[in-house]
Amino acid sequence: MNIRRSKLFLFPIGLLLLASATGCSTHSKPQISRVAESLLESEAEQMLWEKSEREQRTLESNGLVYADPQFEGYLNQVVARLMPETVPANLVIRVKVIKSPYLNAFAYPNGMIYIHSGLLARMDSEAQLAAVLAHEMAHCIQRHALRAFRKYRNQPAYLIAVQQTLLKTKGLQKLAHAMGVTGAMAAISGYTRELEAEADRIGFEWVLRAGYNPKAALSLFDQMLSDLAADGLEEPFFFGSHPRIRQRAENLQNLPEPAMIDTLASNNDRQAFLAKLDQLLIDNARLDIRLGRFQVARTSVEKFLSIKPDDTRAYFLLGEIHRQRGQRSDVQTAIGYYSRAIRLDPSFAAPHKAIGLIHYKKGQHDLAKKFFESCLQLSPDSPDKAYIKGYLKQCTISEES
Amino acid sequence: MKRLLWLSLLICVVSLLACAHSGGLTKPASYGYKVNIPEGWRKIDNNRYLLLTKENPFQQYILVQNRPIGKSFRHTKKKMHTTMLPEEAAQIVVDELISDQNLLNLKLLNNTPLNISGYDGFKILYTYQDGEGHTFKTLYYGFIKADTFFNLRFTAADRFHFQRDIDAFRLMLKSLEIVKAKKT
Repeated sequence: MNIRRSKLFLFPIGLLLLASATGCSTHSKPQISRVAESLLESEAEQMLWEKSEREQRTLESNGLVYADPQFEGYLNQVVARLMPETVPANLVIRVKVIKSPYLNAFAYPNGMIYIHSGLLARMDSEAQLAAVLAHEMAHCIQRHALRAFRKYRNQPAYLIAVQQTLLKTKGLQKLAHAMGVTGAMAAISGYTRELEAEADRIGFEWVLRAGYNPKAALSLFDQMLSDLAADGLEEPFFFGSHPRIRQRAENLQNLPEPAMIDTLASNNDRQAFLAKLDQLLIDNARLDIRLGRFQVARTSVEKFLSIKPDDTRAYFLLGEIHRQRGQRSDVQTAIGYYSRAIRLDPSFAAPHKAIGLIHYKKGQHDLAKKFFESCLQLSPDSPDKAYIKGYLKQCTISEES
Repeated sequence: MKRLLWLSLLICVVSLLACAHSGGLTKPASYGYKVNIPEGWRKIDNNRYLLLTKENPFQQYILVQNRPIGKSFRHTKKKMHTTMLPEEAAQIVVDELISDQNLLNLKLLNNTPLNISGYDGFKILYTYQDGEGHTFKTLYYGFIKADTFFNLRFTAADRFHFQRDIDAFRLMLKSLEIVKAKKT
């Protein structure tokens, strides 16, 4: 059997060739007329759109997109509210969510905006969401990708460098391949300082006109900066970089204070917004727990509990955060959360096992046995039953001795 | 030239899978190992882990590694420690695998406790796809001995090579002997 993985790894080289070819073609027209220049630009835009569509197909076929049509519908309603009156007829702005705990949102030139679940989980209001979306919409509507293309078309090495940054970044190679060059540029490096400032200024106007508080994004940026510092997070994306977030915050601070800011407060309804995020908060917390980012995971779960205070899975996850963090003082807290999960849903097996594990590790085998047995009774076909049976066997040996 | 490129790319990908690069300074592992290399398999030079293949690493490879337990993984910030149960160590490996976006459509088929050469450990079986849609299967054994996390894994193309070559891996596993590491 001939297994060819070479394409996967030769992909960046192929991109280099492709980008070089693009660069070469622009060099071959030294005496170009204004009409021809305009045609060339239109061709360039068409090429960017086609490339975007290809990259989006790859992104979506790799299972990276969060499938929740209802939530997607909500995001697109916010976009519709922000939409300016004059938009190119063929440009349709749409939003989708990427399952990734990293902080990011980026737009393709054809109007497709992707926002990471990690960034959504950090938000507290629709106004913050509106600010992020309006900024990305401004990139699409102001054709920033085309303007960047003009600037970088003779610098293919730059585009390759951007994508290779992502390819080298732990855990993100799949995303980098899927995004391709266009997505990678939008996602990692952002556009130039001027284009980012323009997107902030225009987005600010749209957010204000739609009745949101445009300065609400400042608290999101503060939250992101403190999360990045608290967990020592290192992220490769535009929104995961301290200087970029600070730059965005400065841009916003420098814009004038809206006159009617008090009347905009009603759009800052935290609970209503969190209710929209709903399951996404829990799903993203699970991703953060896997990555060992316990503090941000805990914040997401606590947000979820503020809208669903009796959710057994949320208490179980809080228990997991404390147990897995592995600090001695956390053990009792973890047991408290697991016990609450059991009280809310006595048939939920997972917290029984988790309490059993804590007792088992403490050498309290009689207590551990009770919880392991109840776990197996509730879930006899649990995938981890071989481990649980092993613990029970050890508990019995310990009892007999 | 093409072969050289393939080899260097392979070393990169195996390094990713072996989780050997990231993390700060850690003490070297206190324990090493001895294994019998299966007949017909060859070593691919590497000073960080043992990498073996029969034909070429894109068809099948065995990787053996002894890593200090305090060493960071590439994706998850979780760390192993000496008092960890095998199931907890297995969970960190699973978290690491699931967080690795190189492994497309990862499916965990089995995660069970297992005694490996007299040590309580775990066995994980999973499949994943590469960027071209080829499916690979990996059998991953791991256990903690004092401050060292041992892991031995066999990865091969799921269609044919996995079944054909798994016995060589099992035979090698039987020969595993843990020894005190030489001081360097």
